[in-house]
Amino acid sequence: MANDREVLREIWDGKLPICFQLAQEEIMEIQQPDAFYVMVPRLSYFPLVTDKMKRHFLRYISQENSDSEMWLDYNGQPLKWHYPIGFLYDLYCGNDPQLPWHLTVHFTKFPEDVLLHCTNKDVVEAHFMSTVKEADVLKHRGQVMSTMQKKDHNQLWLGLQNDKFDQFWAINRRLMESHGDSEGFKHIPIKLYSDDGTCSQRLVSPKNNDGSRKTLQQMIAELYPDKLDVQLRTHGIVIPTDTPLQWLSEHLSYPDNFLHMCVF
Amino acid sequence: MSITTITFDEFLASAKEFVEKSEKLGDGWALKDNKTDNLKTYLRKDTFVQCEDGSMNHLLKVEYVIFYNLSYGVPSFSFNAWNSSGTLVTLDDIRKMSFIQINEKDFYSVITQQEHPIFQRPYFIMHPCHTETLLAAFKNKSMNIIVTFLGLITPLIRLNLPLEYGL
Repeated sequence: MANDREVLREIWDGKLPICFQLAQEEIMEIQQPDAFYVMVPRLSYFPLVTDKMKRHFLRYISQENSDSEMWLDYNGQPLKWHYPIGFLYDLYCGNDPQLPWHLTVHFTKFPEDVLLHCTNKDVVEAHFMSTVKEADVLKHRGQVMSTMQKKDHNQLWLGLQNDKFDQFWAINRRLMESHGDSEGFKHIPIKLYSDDGTCSQRLVSPKNNDGSRKTLQQMIAELYPDKLDVQLRTHGIVIPTDTPLQWLSEHLSYPDNFLHMCVF
Repeated sequence: MSITTITFDEFLASAKEFVEKSEKLGDGWALKDNKTDNLKTYLRKDTFVQCEDGSMNHLLKVEYVIFYNLSYGVPSFSFNAWNSSGTLVTLDDIRKMSFIQINEKDFYSVITQQEHPIFQRPYFIMHPCHTETLLAAFKNKSMNIIVTFLGLITPLIRLNLPLEYGL
C-alpha cells in the first residue's frame, strides 16, 4: 500500500529546468529566435508540455514545415517521447548533471528508425494506458485494471495530464494494493537501463524464497551476480540498497506504474 | 475463458523445435539468440509480400519477429515492412494495403507501432492481451506453441504457414 504520502508528493512535484533551442538548420528568419526556458514535471511526457514552446518556434521556421512533426534531441541523441521526461534526463545526464537541460528542437528529418510518431495527445494516452495495464498484469494478473471502469482510466490519465496529484492517486492507490492474499505484488514492474540505453526486463518477485521482503541489494545480487558495486538511480536519486522492493514499487514508480531505473 | 501463459524456457524450447521444422520445410525462420541477454532470443523471417491498394500492386519487404513478452508471459508477434524505395511503411499504409485483415474499428487496438522490447526501435506489434485468451483455447491440444500461435494469427496477417508444420 502506497502510504508514505510525503514521498509520493515529493516524487510527483519533481521538476526539471529545460532550455529549448531551435536547430540552426530549421531557422528561416534573419532574426534568431530566443531560447525557450521552462520548468517541466519529471513525471510527464514531452508532447504534453511542449505546445507553448512549439508555438514560440513556429514563427521562425519555413512555412512548409509548420505542419511537420516536431522532435527533440540532446547532444545528437533523439529523445523518445514515450519515456517520462525525468527518466530521459537520468538516462543521459544522471552521471553528469547539466542544468538547465539544453535540448534542440527539430521540424524536419524525423528519425523514423529511432522515434515513434506522435501526432496528437491521444497517442500519448494510448501508450500510457497500455503501460499501466502491462504493469498491472505483472502485479495483479491484470485484475485491477480490468475491474476498473472507463471513467477510472480517464481519471488516471487526466490526473497526469493536468498535473493533479490527488486526482491521480485517488485511482492509482488501487493499483498499489497487494495481490490476492499475499503481502506484495506478484511481480515488480521494473525496467533497467544501462548507460548505452539498453533496456532489460526481468521477472522480479517482491519476496525472497524465505518469504522475507526482498531488498534492492538482493535483487542486484540476483540480476548482476558477477558485478561489484552496481548502483541504481531513479528520479535523480541513487537508491540505498537496503530499500525493500515492494516499497520502492509502491512509492518510486512513475505514473505508468513502472520503476524505470538506470544502472551504473 | 481461462488465461494461459508460458515460461520463457517453454517459449525457447518451442522456438528451437519450430526452427528445425522450418529448416526442413525451407520456410525461412531463424532463431536469433542474444549472448548477453538470453531473454532477448527471438525468431525472425525475412520475405517479400505483394499487396493491393485499390488497383495498385505493391511489393513489400517484410521482417517478421516472434519474441517472448515477459510481462504477459506469451509469444508476441511483431513486424516491419518497407516499400520498394526502402521507406518504412506506415500503419495506415499497411491497413489500406490489406496486409492485415482486420476491420478498421479493431485494427488500431490489435496492432500498434511501439518501441520493440528487444530492438528498442519502432516496430508494429500485435497487442499481447489478445494472445493470452487465444492460446488458452488451444494450448493443451498443441504439439508446438509457436505453430499454434502462428495458426491463430495467420488469418489476420499476410503470413504463409505451410500445413506441414502440423504433421
